[in-house]
This record gives sequence, structure tokens and C-alpha cells, in this order.
Amino acid sequence: MLDRDLKRGSTEMLIMAMVEDRPRHGYEIGKLIEQRSNGVLQFHVASLYPLLYRLEKRGLIKGRWVEKAGERRRRFYTLTAAGRKILAEQRRTWKDFFAALDLVAGINPA
Amino acid sequence: MPDWKKEIRERLAGLRLAPTREAEIVEELSQYLEDCYEELLAGGMTKEDAWRTAFEGLDESDLLARELSKVERPVSQEPVVFGARVAGRINLLSDLWRDLRFGIRMLVKSKGFTIVAVLSLALGIGANTALFSVVDAVLLKTLPVAEPERLVLFAWQAGRPFRVSGMSGTSNVPGPPGTRTLSLFRYEVFEKMRQARSQATESPLSDLFAFAPIQEMNAVVGDQAEIVSGQAVSGSYYAGLRMQPSLGRAITDEDDKPGASPVVVLSHQYWQERLGGSPAVIGQQLKLNKQSLTIIGVTPPAFTGTMQVDYHPAVTVPFAFEPLLQGERSNLGTKDQPGVWWINLMGRLKPGATQEQARDSLNGAFQAAALEVMPPPRKANQPAQLEPKDYPRLITESGSRGMLDRRRSYSPTIYGLFIVVALVLLIACANVANLLLARATLRSAEISVRLAVGAGRWRLVRQLLTESVLLAALGGVAGVVFAFWARSALRVLTDKDTGILPNGVDLTLNWRVLVFTLAVSLLTGVLFGLVPAWRATSKDLTMALKQSRRTTGAVSRLSKGLIVAQVALSLLLLIGAGLFIRTLYNLQQVNLGFNQENLLLFRLQAQQNGYKDERLMQFYQQLLARLDHLPGVRAATFGKVALIANDNWFFDILLPGETEMTAAGKHITNRQAVRENYFSTLEIPLLQGRSFTAQDDERAPRVAIVSQTFARQFFPDEDVLGKRVTIIDNKGEVEIVGVVADTKYMSQREELKPLIYTPWQQEVADIGEMRFTLRTAGEPTALAATVRQVVRELDSNLPVTEVSTQTARTQATLGQERQSARLLSFFGGLALLLAAIGLSGVLAYSVAQRTNEMGIRMALGAQAANVMRLVVWQGMKLVLLGLALGAATGYGLKRLLASQYFGEDAWQRQMAEQLYGVKGTDPLTFFVIAALLTLVALIACWVPARKAASVDPLEALRYE
Repeated sequence: MLDRDLKRGSTEMLIMAMVEDRPRHGYEIGKLIEQRSNGVLQFHVASLYPLLYRLEKRGLIKGRWVEKAGERRRRFYTLTAAGRKILAEQRRTWKDFFAALDLVAGINPA
Repeated sequence: MPDWKKEIRERLAGLRLAPTREAEIVEELSQYLEDCYEELLAGGMTKEDAWRTAFEGLDESDLLARELSKVERPVSQEPVVFGARVAGRINLLSDLWRDLRFGIRMLVKSKGFTIVAVLSLALGIGANTALFSVVDAVLLKTLPVAEPERLVLFAWQAGRPFRVSGMSGTSNVPGPPGTRTLSLFRYEVFEKMRQARSQATESPLSDLFAFAPIQEMNAVVGDQAEIVSGQAVSGSYYAGLRMQPSLGRAITDEDDKPGASPVVVLSHQYWQERLGGSPAVIGQQLKLNKQSLTIIGVTPPAFTGTMQVDYHPAVTVPFAFEPLLQGERSNLGTKDQPGVWWINLMGRLKPGATQEQARDSLNGAFQAAALEVMPPPRKANQPAQLEPKDYPRLITESGSRGMLDRRRSYSPTIYGLFIVVALVLLIACANVANLLLARATLRSAEISVRLAVGAGRWRLVRQLLTESVLLAALGGVAGVVFAFWARSALRVLTDKDTGILPNGVDLTLNWRVLVFTLAVSLLTGVLFGLVPAWRATSKDLTMALKQSRRTTGAVSRLSKGLIVAQVALSLLLLIGAGLFIRTLYNLQQVNLGFNQENLLLFRLQAQQNGYKDERLMQFYQQLLARLDHLPGVRAATFGKVALIANDNWFFDILLPGETEMTAAGKHITNRQAVRENYFSTLEIPLLQGRSFTAQDDERAPRVAIVSQTFARQFFPDEDVLGKRVTIIDNKGEVEIVGVVADTKYMSQREELKPLIYTPWQQEVADIGEMRFTLRTAGEPTALAATVRQVVRELDSNLPVTEVSTQTARTQATLGQERQSARLLSFFGGLALLLAAIGLSGVLAYSVAQRTNEMGIRMALGAQAANVMRLVVWQGMKLVLLGLALGAATGYGLKRLLASQYFGEDAWQRQMAEQLYGVKGTDPLTFFVIAALLTLVALIACWVPARKAASVDPLEALRYE
């Protein structure tokens, strides 16, 4: 539905936002974004993980294996300090972008 | 429960990710799929539907692999296209280029391996290259003249009864037993042959010329006097060789006539070093043995003469002047002495002529001339007339390399060294092959995937080969660099006195050597690359795809075999080194029979300056008187023969009642002519009778002192004092007035032989050159300058040569043994180092493969020590096998050489010549070396064993 490039650029921000307040594992992140976007943004293993790994490589999120009693170990992702900075920046950028859109074409985000 | 991991892994196989990373990703992604699956099931889907949905995005256009490949950095970066074979494009060059770049990247990735491999190869290839330059210079290089293959060297063969009037020079021409085979001719014979050639209507030779060494002439340049080596040549020498001088002109037939003006041609080296390379030397005078000659030319730099490989004459004169230069020692003959056989003959063939034709054309003239100059019989058993079967006849061989005699004598040493060095290279190759084998096993998953997606086996082998050839090329380049450095080591080996290789050979690395290096590099590259490449790409390894990550971890039998072979070879080399070291030690402990401490030695050749008879005696008296009173000198003496310096002087003697006809040649004794205080200065004990005194001069009755061995051998049951013996070629009888203790004479090795001393004043004809010995109060060399000064004051034109101390001279005589010991130790140590590295490397890979097994063992309660013991034992098994194999090979080789190749007696003789005080199969040496090897191997095993023991069992188990 959404244009693919636009989707990719904003998805990274979404992922970062998901792990902003607490660590989550991969499936959780994907499910959460799907829910909150009312099914508009859907993930699959092939589309989610490359993004996760790319973010991890750039040092914006950090993954950690966590072993809980009685469960298999899982990989949880958290936002790094650098990630926080980028996230704040991206939020500002998007805000300005939508403000401009509104001024020019009369789009009013809710 | 569907196997998610398997599915994910299959799709990621082509990415060649590092094992840990791949395991992580597989785990994480499979969890995702499982969560998805569970949720779908919980939502009411059927198993099949849920499974299919979960896999939905995964299969479409290999998105996962593509996206991940952009993020993850794979182990290698060569892209693999799933399912499609890059078929048909035969773009060999771009393929090779890609292989090359890939190979370079692989080598840079594993720097440690690359460095070790390149270094081992460099050492092996470099040593081979350096040795080959020696082989080339000594055995292969032809003379730098036009068409050297047309040159022919003459020699002759005769039955034993054929007699010559005397011989001077070396000759080592092989001939059938029972004959005399010599490469030396007499001048009169040469003249007759020359005449025959010029008178023949159709001679196969265009030129016939002769040359002979004149050793140790006294050359005076400016105010410097020094001893030079020279040669005499016939007029057509340079013309026959077609040799153009680089300056001035060469000697011609006109110069070789009696009464011609004396001329001399210089060698390029002498001209550069002593005359400054100045073109103005042409026309100047040079003084040789007090004769003045005109310099007429200089030979080109590359030409060092046609003589033996280590004799490079600095000055060349025509034969006509030899009598002038040598005076009474002339080999051409004086009024008292007939000429001797001392000349070498060479000819140049006309185009189309053969050696046999040349030989046949001159044989008649040669034979007639040789028989004409045959001296009358001296012994009773010599026939006056010779039978035709014993007549001397000409033989020929190629002259393209000059004289071959001494080259032949160096061959065994050179080939021996070559074998050693080749073995080391073999060991280095085995090492690299082993390491490559191990690496190939590690990459087996990658290789089998590529095979599975359709890559040709030959293509893969080619790529693996590229890597190994690249490695070998790097090793070759590094090897050439190493060979340059090795030249300075080779210079030590070619030292004039102590070298085991001939002196003065041109050791530059020429193109032939470079081609050789290239060939060796390529060969080693293909050798050690082919087998691992072939094995790694064999179809059986596709099993690795089906299996889990864990490979079998077994070290292949080939690897094991290589390690065993390396250990065996190192053992042999090191035992050789051990034997030579013990030999050297034994020789250094030998009792010389005199006190060699604080003795300063030097040599004077007064005869060269024209001293003789009365003048000579006076000169010596004056010099000795001054030396006696020099501060720091406790005693000054001299003798004709230098001790422990491979110098000798020996003659036949006749015991009382014998005549020359009955007993000539039956008794041979060493001789020495000495000053009165010789024995006291050298601290040789006098056992019977008296020593010489100043009264034993030329007017007194002739006396002699003999050694113990002399008395024992020639007068076993009698008192030797007062007996009279005759030294043949001397003047009359001598009376024995004393007996001294034995001393070693020529070398430490040589067994004691009879020795007779005579007083110097009674030997005036034979003492033209003497060896002076000064017992000093302190360090001998401190007085060297003073001594030169003393001599210069008496005669400024007399060079003082061979200044040394007795201890240095004694050590120098052991130079060959020392070099052999050093060489074998170096190469043996090198071989051992390479074998240890190889062993360590192979064990390390084995440990890496068996990490899982180690973990299980330790989880089940094994201690770290047990695991270590396991690894060490795995390695030591190979080492012990190698020791056994080495011992068996050595023994078998010895038996083979002794019985088949040399013959039992010749073998014993060889052993006796090389070793001293220790047998070739000495058990002590074997056990010490074996223990050393075992110790080094233990250390080599300990390193990877430590690593094995430090594996965390949980980590290990996690690897599936």
C-alpha cells in the first residue's frame, strides 16, 4: 500500500520508537507495530530482521540474549544513547515535514 | 513440530556467514517463526495453513537472503546466485583475475597463516636459489669466450710403468685402475704437438695453446710488495680463446719467443684493486720476482682464466719468461734439472670437427715426444723399455668450462648441500600443504554449497590452486630477497682457507638462477596446492551440507603422514649435525704435542727477492738476531713447514745398508728444517740425545733429530742415536743425534707419521721461504706491526705474509668441519622449527574442529588435564612414529650407500674422512637428538592443548 521507499525510511524510526521505553524481542516489535498501525504496516521475518540488524550495526539499537528460567533464551533489543539522539532528530524532522505538507497541500495529521 | 532452524539454515547457506553469527541468526529467526506459528494455531488455523502462512514472505524472491546479505558481512564477498550456474562464459582472463583478487583477500584475512607459510617457503626457496647459483658457477657456467663449446681439453693416459721426470700441479682426472691419468704435459711435448698441428694439411684444430700456473710471485707496485698468483701462457692462448682484452692488447706468438721484450697482461680484478683501474697502466712497468715487465693489456671483467675453478691469475706472462721469473725453480727445466710435467693444453676445434678427430690427429706426435723424454728407470722393478700397451695416449674432454679437476672434487660437497637444502624445502612445502588441507576442511561447507549450485569442480580447484600459487609466488619473491642475503653467508662458505666451497666464484644471481627460482616456486605452489584442492572438492564432502555444522574433526591421514615425514627428516639432519659437532669437539681436544699458546706466525719468501746461499743465510741471521731482542718476544725461531696448516714436505729415505735401487720409495718420512731453539720454543720435549746448536752449521757434519714415531718405525728394536740415514735427493747421509716427542704435523686428524728434523744451516738450498714462529709474552697479534717494521728495515721489498697466531691457524684447519657442523645445525634446526610449526598448526585445527567433543567430555566430568593429555598424545604419537621412521630410514640409507653405491671399504674411508672419534651410527648422538626433538614436539603440542583445555563446555555444547 504505502510506497516502499517511504515505508523503509520510516520503519526504522518506528522500530526505534518501539524499544524506546523498554526492551522488546523481534516478534514483539513486529506485532506491536502491526497492532498500533491497525494492520497498515505488516512485517514478516524477511522484512523485519534485516532492518533490525542494520540498526544494530549502526549502533542505534543493541540486542542482548536473555535467558529466563524455564524458557528458551530470546534476543531483546534496547535503544542506545546514540539511538535516542537519532530518534529525537527524526521526530523533529518528521514534524517539520508534516508542518510543511500542511502549509502547502493542506494535509492535517491528527 | 516443523524444523524452523533447518529451513532458515538452508536459505542462509549461500551467505557464508561466520558460524557463530549464523547460529545466532538462525536461532532468532526460527523463534520468530515459531511464535508466528503458535499464534496462528492458537487463532484456529490448521497446522498446514499455519505453516504455509508463516513461510509466506520467506520464499518469495529470496528476499531474506538478499536483504541480509546487504547487512551482514559474509566471510567472503563473492556473490553466489542461487540456482543459476554462471555457465558458458569462458572469459578466462576475468575469471583468473577474480580468482586472484579473491585469493589475495583470503590471504590477507588470515595474516598469521600467510606470514608463516610465506616465511617457510621463502627460506626453502631462497636456500635452494643460493645453492643453485653455486652449482651454476662451479659446475655449469662456461667460459666467457666465443663459442666455448668448441674448446677441447687434453689429458693423457698411460700404463703404470710409464715414467715422468717430475710433476707439478693438481690433476684429478678419472681413469681406469692400473693406469696413470694426468692432465699435465711437459713443455717439450707441447712444442712437438704444436709443430704437428701447424704442419698438418687438414688439422681439425684451428688453435692449440697451453697455460700453467705460476704461484706466489712477488709483485711490487709503487712501494707495496705482495704475493700474487699468476700464469704462463703460450703465444696463441688469447687468440685460441678468441678473447679480446678490454684494454691494450693480448699476448701473441711474437711475445712468446726467446729474446722478446718481457710483457705481462693483467686480470681485471688486479687492475682495479691494485692499479686503481687507470687506463694509463698500459706501457708501465711491473716488477715480478725482481724482473721488470711491461704491462700491455687487461682482460675483460668476466674472464677469470681457464684454470681450476678457484685459481684466478692476477698476472699472465708468456712461457718464454717463466725461467726468468722462477730462476732455479723453473719448471721448464734448468741445466741441472729436466723440465717437469706441469702444463695444461687446450685446443679450438674447427667448425664440424670432433674431439676424437683432434685427439687422433695429435696422438702420434704426443706419444713420440712423451717416450722421448721418459727418464731412465730409477728402481729395480722398472723396465727400461715400455710395452706398447703402456704407451701414453691422448684423451680429450670438453674445454668449455676450463679445467675440471677441482670442480669434480667439489661436486660431492655441492650435491650434498643441495640435497639438504632440497629436503628443507620439501619440509616447508609439507607444512604449507598441511595448513592448506586444514583450511580447506574448514571451508568445506562453502565449497560443497558451491558444488551443489553447479560450480564446476575444476573451477573450484583452479581457484584454490590460485591461492596456493599466489602463496608460492610470494614465497619465491621473498626467497630471492633471502637468497641475496644468503650470498654473504655463501662468501663465508667459499673462504680461501676454511671454505668447503671453491673460492672466488662469481655468485651473482643470473637469469638462469632466477628462472630456476621461478620454476621451483611454481612447482611448490602446484605441489602443495593440488592435493588439498582435489580432496576438498571431492564429492564426498557434499555430505557436509546435509550434516549439521559439526564436521568430523579428524585429522586426515595425509596430514598425519606429512608430519611424520617432517619429523623423520629433521631427525636425520640433526643427527648429521650432532655427529659433526662431536667430530669438531674431538678434533679440538686433540693433543698437538707442543704448546700453541701465544705464538705469532708469519711467512717470508726471501727467495722471490733473489736471496740465496750466503746472502740468504746472512739475511736470516740478521733478522733472527733482531727478533730475538724485540721487547715482548720471549723466543724467536723458524721452520720450513707450518704446523697444523695442511702443509707438508716429505721425502724417501734410505736406512743403513740400503741403496736407491733396492729401497727407493720403501720408507717415506716427513721433514722439517729448523733453528736450534725450535724445540725449546715450541716446548717439544727432548727424549734422547741432544738438540741442535749453532755449531751445526754448513761446515759441520750433517746431523738430524727424529721423532718418536720415526725411531719406532724404522729402528724398532735398536737405539736410534748414532744411526745414519740418507734422505733421497739430498746430499749424503745424516747422523741421528736426538729424539723428540711426537707432534701433530699436517692436521689434528692425521695419524702420527715419522718426522725428521735437520738444522737450517745445513739446508741452505731448501730454505728459500720459511715460517717464523715467535713465542710472545702477551697477546701475539699486538706485535704484528712491529715485526713488519723490523722486516721492512732489513728489506723494504720483502712482503710479510700469513701473519697469524698458532691457535688461529689450528682453528682454521678445522674450518671445513666447523662449516659442516654449522650448516647441518642450521638446516636441522630450521627443519625442526618448520616441523614444530606444522605439528602445532595441525593440532590447533584439530582442536578447533573437536570443540564440541571437548565440551562433552568436560561436561561429563573430564578434567582440563585429561583433555590436554589427549591432545598432546595425539601429537606425540606422530612424533614417535617420525623418530622411528627416521631411524629406520637412516639405517637403511647407510646400508644402501655402503653396500650398493660406494662399496664397504670406500664407505668406511668416507666416514673416517668426515668424522673423528665418533661412528656414524653413534647411539649417544641419536638418543640426545631424539630427546631434543621430543622436547620441542612436546612444547609444540602443549600450545594447542592449552587452548583445548580452556574451552568453556557450555559454549562448546551450544554448537550444534
